[in-house]
Amino acid sequence: MSSVLWLQGGACSGNTMSFLNAEEPNVVDLIVDFGLELLWHPSLGLELGANAQKIFWDCARGDRPLDIFVFEGTVIEKDGYDVFAERQMKDWVTDLANAASIVVAIGDCACWGGIPAMEPNPSQSTGLQFHKRDKGGFLGPDWKSKAGLPVINIPGCPSHPDWITQIIVALATGRTADIALDDLHRPQTFFKTFTQTGCTRVQFFDYKQSTVSFGEGTRTGCLFYEFGCRGPMTHSPCNRILWNRQSSKTRAGMPCLGCTEPEFPFFDLNKGTVFKTQKISGVIPKEVPEGADHLTYMAQASAARIAAPQWSKEDMFVV
Amino acid sequence: MTSTDLFVSPLGRVEGDLDVRVTITDGVVTDAWTEAAMFRGFEMILKGKDPQAGLIVTPRICGICGGSHLYKACYALDTAWKTHVPENATLVRNIAQACETLQSIPRYFYALFAIDLVNKNYAKSKLYDECVRRFAPYVGTAYQKGVVLSNKPVEVYALFGGQWPHSSFMVPGGVMSAPSLADITRATAILNHWKDNWLEAEWLGCSIDRWLEIKTWEDMLEWVEENESQYNSDCGFFIRYCLDVGLHKYGGGVGNYIAPGTYFEPSLYDHPTSEGRNAALIGRSGVYAGGKHFEYDHLRVSEDVSHSYFKGDRPLHPWEGETIPLDVEEARKAGKYSWAKSPRYDVPDLGRIPLEAGPLARRMAAGNPDRAEHQDYDPLFIDMMAKLGPSVFVRQMARMHEGPKYFKWVMDWLSRIDLHGSFYTKPEEPQSGKGFGATEAARGALQDWIVIEDGKIENYQVVTPTAWNIGPRDSNSTNGPIESALIGSPIVDIEDPVELGHVARSFDSCLVCTVHAYDGKTGRELNKFVVNGMV
Repeated sequence: MSSVLWLQGGACSGNTMSFLNAEEPNVVDLIVDFGLELLWHPSLGLELGANAQKIFWDCARGDRPLDIFVFEGTVIEKDGYDVFAERQMKDWVTDLANAASIVVAIGDCACWGGIPAMEPNPSQSTGLQFHKRDKGGFLGPDWKSKAGLPVINIPGCPSHPDWITQIIVALATGRTADIALDDLHRPQTFFKTFTQTGCTRVQFFDYKQSTVSFGEGTRTGCLFYEFGCRGPMTHSPCNRILWNRQSSKTRAGMPCLGCTEPEFPFFDLNKGTVFKTQKISGVIPKEVPEGADHLTYMAQASAARIAAPQWSKEDMFVV
Repeated sequence: MTSTDLFVSPLGRVEGDLDVRVTITDGVVTDAWTEAAMFRGFEMILKGKDPQAGLIVTPRICGICGGSHLYKACYALDTAWKTHVPENATLVRNIAQACETLQSIPRYFYALFAIDLVNKNYAKSKLYDECVRRFAPYVGTAYQKGVVLSNKPVEVYALFGGQWPHSSFMVPGGVMSAPSLADITRATAILNHWKDNWLEAEWLGCSIDRWLEIKTWEDMLEWVEENESQYNSDCGFFIRYCLDVGLHKYGGGVGNYIAPGTYFEPSLYDHPTSEGRNAALIGRSGVYAGGKHFEYDHLRVSEDVSHSYFKGDRPLHPWEGETIPLDVEEARKAGKYSWAKSPRYDVPDLGRIPLEAGPLARRMAAGNPDRAEHQDYDPLFIDMMAKLGPSVFVRQMARMHEGPKYFKWVMDWLSRIDLHGSFYTKPEEPQSGKGFGATEAARGALQDWIVIEDGKIENYQVVTPTAWNIGPRDSNSTNGPIESALIGSPIVDIEDPVELGHVARSFDSCLVCTVHAYDGKTGRELNKFVVNGMV
């Protein structure tokens, strides 16, 4: 039996909605089969007002053991911009993070600030232990929970329900020691691979064949060359563990926005950067796949284009 | 006579957090303040960005209705850029957004609303034990099926958009995707599975066609008694329970409604404009106020900030709208109390008034007999409102009535997709322009106004359904719709004011869905009842 308290700061509830799409386990299984004791959740909590506040205070003061504190949304640091249960939300975060055995940040906002922390960041939003790629955030770079762990980051905008439920099950079933984190505190079991790993367009990438337009144009080609797809530079299992059990953005024809990386939304969505690959001299992609350099990339690309078979220039995802 | 001030913070399950302050006199709410306590400043973030930034940013205003945000943000650009939208793309947009709403109907009903029906306040109802068996959170038989199966309609969203929530696959000129045959057959199969296993088997206890035969309140009551299957379905039970515990007696609100409408007849909206919008709609637009129907005109919308934590001295149309936050402490001293703005609509002869947004507003608009062949016409709720008046119950039934209706629409749209046709026309990207996009999120009117200059966003204003419903008083001190709806509610137990929850949640307000959300009264003691302590 693990007790879980889930709160939202500067949040859109997208991670909660994503979580409710889960299967195996679904939210009912988590509670009924895995004995998760969900003390309170903004969408699912039963208690109102005073009764809800008692739960928060009991946890914050250590009168009630709190195994897992889940936080969704940014920590809003500007006074008066996020008041919850009659306190600044950031004060609840301080108390509850320090009272919990393990702290889990769900979604980009809680991990590193996400969209609300974009310039000009009106609410002075930040993540629990990162601000964008810089370690620190609200709790500070060296902060550790009672169990001796930093904040576990499950990024994405939103997080995939499996990334959330499987980590919660791992924590609840005594497999905490098996959760290996990368430099950004993301569980490697999910975030070592690239978004491109398993993408149905990867053969077009191999032969440097571009999608030509949205709509029917996405029946062929790779979205990396013209439409700003970040699949080769982004760590996520979006094409290994499909979304809603059906698809992924890149499979459907939408370029990856890199939403599991701290820089999302990239280039601050400035003029000319949305769904458009950033290029040098109008030809060469400014960013090449992780670990590659421009020279090697260009050499490989020329060879690949020469090698490209006819089928790689035709529609593949046909009626 | 005893009068107490009751401050409930937080009132969860309105998706985000809502603080409610009410005055109770002799067990009845006599005044109310709804306070939005969180502000992220999305409109400020969008200023100066790429025109298409709204397709990525606005869905993140609210993850519950992110698909609806995408839909209207896209139409705001279509109208600003004067695009051509192929008929297939209109169908796909319609399907995707309607699937988000089909997801929301059971998820909202069981997870967010119905669990309050098991509150001990109702223990003396003869139906209480059955209510607990069905609706208790996590373990209720109906809760489990309804909540778990609510993920099915958004699987269809993912087939077209890659994922739900938070895709940005709708773009000016169409959609990014082009479905294959298997996408369409799978979508059809998933939706049929959902209909067979939840909508008909659990919720209705009959076919959707039988349900849609209901045209009056008497028809509905006869439907309940018609057979055991309907009597014992979740819907039949819900109707009986509401009438037993009195949810048809309070929570009415302002009685005036706004619906900008949604879903377009593809052939009538291949060149989207704000002027041509009303005529192309399938889900009707309209304002119903003072007992009369009016044509919806976005130019009559304005936002008032007299009780909101923003600078501004007069109501502004969103194209001229401003979002300039004030210091909260100072603003509170000036009588302001919410991060929500107060949207108002200038109704002919009635002036700028608050209007309720949501499924009941849509049902009132759909009751206007003056319509074109392709448009929804459904007199049921005009009849129910005449006989019952607005209430928590009627608002819920309006929402649930949309399940069968939208299901049929989506199946029709799926059947009309021409797989060999076009899904996208590449648009020009003019450096300046003004756009308006609107839709009906599950919870109501959702609208964007964009001004583009020099290839960048000069102004972007989003008016959410939650702002319509939860907004504070305006400069005339007229209450917002939820404030009005709370007034008159009976409170049985002030230690556990479940009635406030029913009323607020019947609006399905995703508070984070207000772009400008709120504050409770900081530092105040918990459940401290101040006799006659009006603020």
